[in-house]
Amino acid sequence: MNWRSETIFVTGATGFIGGRVCERMMQEGVPKVRALVHGMHRAARIARMPVELCPGDLQDRESLRRALGDAKVVIHCGLGPASTIMRGIENMLAVAHDAGVKRFIHVSTAAVYGITPPPGSETEDAPLRRTGDPYSDNKAAAEKIVLDYGRRGLPVVILRPSIVWGPYSAWSTRLIEDLRAGHVAFIDGGSGACNTTYVDNLIDAMTASLENDAALNNAFLITDGERITWGDFIRAHMGLIEALPEVKEISRAEIAASRGKPSGMLLGSVKATARVARSKPFREMLLQIPITEAAMKRAWNWVGSLSPEKRERLRSRFGVRRAPAAKANARFIPDEVTEATQSATVFFSIEKARKLLNYEPRIKFAAGMKLVEQWLRYAAYIQ
Amino acid sequence: MSDKIRLAILGCGAITRSEHIPAVSAHPGVELVALIDTDLARANALIQSRNLTCKAVADYREVFDQVDAVINALPNHLHVSSNMDCLGAGLHVLCEKPLAITAAEARVCTEFAEEKKLVLAVGMNRRFAASHLLLKLVIEEGLLGAIQSYDFQYGGAFDWRSASGFYFDRAKAGGGALVDFGVHMLDSVIDWFGPVTAFDYQDDDWGSGIEANLFLDVKHEGKFGDTPGHLRLSRTFQLANRLLVRGAAASAEISVQDSEVVVIRRTIGGCPVSQTMRLEKISGSSSYWRQLNNFVESIENHAKPEVDGWQAVRVLELIENCYAHKGRIPEPWAEIGAEIETGPGPESRSQLSKATNANAQTGKEART
Repeated sequence: MNWRSETIFVTGATGFIGGRVCERMMQEGVPKVRALVHGMHRAARIARMPVELCPGDLQDRESLRRALGDAKVVIHCGLGPASTIMRGIENMLAVAHDAGVKRFIHVSTAAVYGITPPPGSETEDAPLRRTGDPYSDNKAAAEKIVLDYGRRGLPVVILRPSIVWGPYSAWSTRLIEDLRAGHVAFIDGGSGACNTTYVDNLIDAMTASLENDAALNNAFLITDGERITWGDFIRAHMGLIEALPEVKEISRAEIAASRGKPSGMLLGSVKATARVARSKPFREMLLQIPITEAAMKRAWNWVGSLSPEKRERLRSRFGVRRAPAAKANARFIPDEVTEATQSATVFFSIEKARKLLNYEPRIKFAAGMKLVEQWLRYAAYIQ
Repeated sequence: MSDKIRLAILGCGAITRSEHIPAVSAHPGVELVALIDTDLARANALIQSRNLTCKAVADYREVFDQVDAVINALPNHLHVSSNMDCLGAGLHVLCEKPLAITAAEARVCTEFAEEKKLVLAVGMNRRFAASHLLLKLVIEEGLLGAIQSYDFQYGGAFDWRSASGFYFDRAKAGGGALVDFGVHMLDSVIDWFGPVTAFDYQDDDWGSGIEANLFLDVKHEGKFGDTPGHLRLSRTFQLANRLLVRGAAASAEISVQDSEVVVIRRTIGGCPVSQTMRLEKISGSSSYWRQLNNFVESIENHAKPEVDGWQAVRVLELIENCYAHKGRIPEPWAEIGAEIETGPGPESRSQLSKATNANAQTGKEART
């Protein structure tokens, strides 16, 4: 389809991926971009562009109808908390279907195979199975709803990026903060598969999905197509910081010993995964927005101002806990999510996207890193 | 009849809730008669939650015969019409910044207030922050030696939960970060260092007119001679959030978060030392209280307020000049796809632009 003459509706537009989608659509010269905005105060980045800021909430179908307006192309980057993913996507699909939307791009995730994808999940042929992780399972279930609407006539495409990185991504900003704090280790020598997906490569896959009818009703794994390890990713960021604390190696066996329980609990134990879903790093990764120390401090000050009862209620609801103060000379032990994420062994294949979408990652890792470095400097994360 | 100044507050948005109501409640010289908001439920809710005895009114014209003065905290684009109405009804006005969207409108308001012999004060509360007052003393008493330059940074994730959300509407807000917080910074630096006579301005506006980031290099001509300054403002990134003034003998720093202290840094016998200073005596509980107090004293004494309309005109003229001569902040990481339209390139920006209209008040000729 000739999407360049269409009004494009973007959900998740105040986030890292959706924000960049808005920028790229502006650069491509589309006549109109309508951006779904849940929190207007988070819209500073996209408010710089002549996009229409459309207030709405994925949980409120009527608000989505108003926000969608006359748009016939939907790029769904919106998410919300894990428990609301399903209703959000269902609402958006229903509204798009009613409105006769001509293309619905659903940004899913390679985490539909779990945070640590099992061997054999290199391609889209691998079956989705319950992992016990609420984010993964909800995103997998969301895909089923998307395909269901596809069967009912809504032209849908599912993209499964992995570690989406680039300017504005928390993967870089948080890593910088963690490196400075000494909260980074090379797990098993940093050999884990990182599966980077540079944000502009992902958006290239989106535009390719708009152009190719062969994409319809299909899911595509999208990465940079390079075998980048977590060690590579971490070392590339280490090069940007001066006076860096030493980053030590730690094996998964050592992590397990320090926790007093076997490694790999994450996949098996529902209790453990619930804990993971509540954890601060995981939630930050999902939000994919730069969360600064100052913002966290403000949040803590606010929590501190509440009555003990309210504070307890908040804690039990969100699993909010004060980060333990780092002990001098204490060995840094990565948390469970980090361990699970960086223990991946599967490098995803992008052959299907190459074949059906003519997708070819334009930004290679080294080039992407240069752009991220420039942005980090501008955004005052590094000197 | 009480000799207190009878007051109405126009607009029950975020700033009224967080600052004006506490200031008014704590000031013995004023009596709050009414909260005005087209959303009466919002006004009533505020009255209830703060145990206020005033009434809620939807249209400010209804209270013209019941008050002496108003605090105007309506959204930016409504400032001028409501200011003119209130001044026309013989009321003194303390108007939230910016006084108007355009300098021309601000000038009309200011001239009208003069004609009516009424006080028109502009809500530049930072002028009344303890650190601002102290820094002014530090500079003027020569503690830093000859003033050389300054660097002023303010930035963080935008999080102002405006009740009306007008901030991202160009027609209602008048611009982005520069109009919003830049007015405070420019008002302050002009107060300290004198009128701006040249500038170089770049922002990250991609066509909506609502910039999130900006760089502004300025030159002041004031009682300390020529003072170059660098300002950076961001609605998306956490910056150092401080003003650093460099002098020949010492430097002074104030933090945007801590409005109480000035930190002086110098070397003694080659050793770097720092000294934290604070005013031992200062009236009132907040900068908003002191701002209100200045407004009340101006009314009682028929005096000019600390921040009058002409000063707002001067800042708005500079802002308009910046917008008219703006360059684009280079964002190479964003230029992956199609080329984006860019402002004048760096080669044409090697010199500071003339701030031709920035000296309306002094009538001084600008030069680069």
